[in-house]
Amino acid sequence: MTLYDGRIGADYEVRGVYVEEAVTRRLQALGINDGTTVKILNRKRKGAMIIQVRGTRLALGRHISSCIEVKEEA
Amino acid sequence: MAEAKYSQNGRGQIRVAFVGNPNCGKTTLFNAVTGSKLKVANWPGVTVEKKEGYAQYEDCDLTIVDTPGIYSLTCYTIEEKVTRQCVMDDEIDAIVNVVDASSLERNLYLTLQLLELGKPVVLALNMMDIVEERGMEIDLHRLPEMLGGIPVVSVSAAKRTGLGILLHAVVHHYEEGPAGNILTYGEELEAKIAKLEVMMQARFPLHSSVRWHAIKLLEYDEDVRREHPIDVTNVVDRSYEKDIIQAKYRYIETIVKEVLFHKEKKAAFTDKIDRMLTHPVWGVPIFLLIMCCVFFLTFTVGDFLKAGFEVALSFLSDEASALLTAMRCAPWLISLVVDGIIAGVGGILTFIPNIVILFFALALLEDSGYMSRVAYVMDGIMGKAGLSGKAFLPMVLGFGCTVPAIMATRALETERDRRKTMLITPFMSCSARLPIYVLFSEMFFPSHPSAAAFSMYAIGMIVAIVVALAIHGYEKGKINDSLLIELPEYKRPNGRTIGIYVWTKLKDYLEKAGTTIFIASIIIWFVLNFGIHGMVADPSDSFGAAIGRGLVPLLAPAGLGMWQIAVALISGISAKEVVVSSFAVLFGVVNANSQSGMQTIISHINAQNPGFGAVNAYALMVFCLLYVPCAATIATVRKESGSWRFTAKMAVFQLLLAWAAAVVVYQIGSRLF
Repeated sequence: MTLYDGRIGADYEVRGVYVEEAVTRRLQALGINDGTTVKILNRKRKGAMIIQVRGTRLALGRHISSCIEVKEEA
Repeated sequence: MAEAKYSQNGRGQIRVAFVGNPNCGKTTLFNAVTGSKLKVANWPGVTVEKKEGYAQYEDCDLTIVDTPGIYSLTCYTIEEKVTRQCVMDDEIDAIVNVVDASSLERNLYLTLQLLELGKPVVLALNMMDIVEERGMEIDLHRLPEMLGGIPVVSVSAAKRTGLGILLHAVVHHYEEGPAGNILTYGEELEAKIAKLEVMMQARFPLHSSVRWHAIKLLEYDEDVRREHPIDVTNVVDRSYEKDIIQAKYRYIETIVKEVLFHKEKKAAFTDKIDRMLTHPVWGVPIFLLIMCCVFFLTFTVGDFLKAGFEVALSFLSDEASALLTAMRCAPWLISLVVDGIIAGVGGILTFIPNIVILFFALALLEDSGYMSRVAYVMDGIMGKAGLSGKAFLPMVLGFGCTVPAIMATRALETERDRRKTMLITPFMSCSARLPIYVLFSEMFFPSHPSAAAFSMYAIGMIVAIVVALAIHGYEKGKINDSLLIELPEYKRPNGRTIGIYVWTKLKDYLEKAGTTIFIASIIIWFVLNFGIHGMVADPSDSFGAAIGRGLVPLLAPAGLGMWQIAVALISGISAKEVVVSSFAVLFGVVNANSQSGMQTIISHINAQNPGFGAVNAYALMVFCLLYVPCAATIATVRKESGSWRFTAKMAVFQLLLAWAAAVVVYQIGSRLF
């Protein structure tokens, strides 16, 4: 599944980031790497979402969140 | 081991760069350390402003450079390039890495990169109070150990504590030289780094940060590869950037595990507020409501306070007139001072309360952390216009002043987005247009002045979004949904930061009144008081009237067919407030922003054009909202876009749009009312 399919309040483990090169690098610099845990704090039904990663909050557009492969954490 | 450079008077001189993530309190710390010795400098050769200031510690003079906030030392954004260029510069002797202690994990990533540069680094731990509030603790003994023994100083930029210790650490750590290498990347990568280091040293023997460059070569960093054209294909078979980033974060995880206790006990405060402010349904209405409150305060409270200014101005005008008469000055000189300068400049100064309140409110929104939420909230609407929610931030800044707003478009990723945002930002009504609305809505909409003025802001915002949508539709672009922005923790706004912000804006306003508006007022006075036969008694014989009359046929369909209005609109291009100054000078009113002044203007207008009423005034306000931005904005757009062509097209487009909108308002309005 991708992060875009996630729901508010759940934790997800990042399995892969497949956006354009420059955006991938930015996400990695912000700490979104394979194995990182992210939590969805808030989202619009068909749009951007707010996630928590490594103690900070990021707003991600739909294009980016649907290019991040994740696995739901138990 | 580095040696302090000594100047001729025997004092050490160190150049220090403040580097850190966005929103880590870097600029607040910079302001606190440099205090009043602040000097804003435009650096040559770069597009983004960096600030330089001075501080002293014992026998050392420190030059401190504030850099744009960055997350990493790669070169994907303008900010990153500028900061990287600055810290790599040999002129920089030491780096102060400002770290937001409440998000240590993310901030340390930049720290690890800075340490690899091989320059002395001092860590300034800011926002420790938030760490404490959240029930967290940082082991200040273990943290420096894990970072190779660099000094770690906890400071509070807001409360101005720990500043002396920080400067002490900078001076002494600089004398000691940089710390050694702390992070190793495993056998395979280290072997490659070692080989690259040898190759680098062979080709560039004078290089200072060899390891950093070797790592960057391994990461396929474009700039480093271009500047160091060594053939490394036998060592670097692919980009190892991902491996290197992950190794850094793995090391950070071990650091955080060892130094940070009671993690995330109560980070709930921000989340609670965010549930309301970033609500999927209520987010946009709440934002609009907040902006309503801002403008309501600006108009009503501002108007309430301006009474004092009015008294002072009429006193000044009477005194000046009396003094000049007593000194037996020539009537033309008295007229220049009283009708030209005092009327033109003084009238503008009575709007100071409105301006201060507007900037105060914008500073509150920025400093509290709400602004980046606006990007998230507006992302959906902006996305349909092909822009990311981030593009809305320069637009909100545009309510204050268009010039910094145009510069703020640098945060956008592509040139195309930047130009589009530059095109629509001037439609966001800036504070210079506020005097026009206040004046005309009070003259022609006496029962609902605030509503009439506020509607200008709404129209501006709607026009901006509609224009963006239209361009997007014309270009058949895709929906933009690539928003990526950090949402900082909400914090109590810092009085000092807000004070400095409002004061700088007020200073700009006063400077503008003293320079542009001053000169414009003199020119207008001259143009209106002189004709081909010298000084004229009746302004309608003046040069100004001759110029204005030429434009009357063009403005007539918008209900603005008066030569005085044409003159006011042309002069308004120097600065929008000058539209008000012109009316004051035109009709010989000392203070346009007073009851008697307004009465005089209305009676003059009606004497010329008895039909001029609320609809005409509204068309005039709409025209002023949309037409060519002021000269300073045009110059900024030229500088930021690097294209006269684009700038000229923009100005022509805005002029045509303003004319069309004013015509529509007048033609429809005059039939309805």
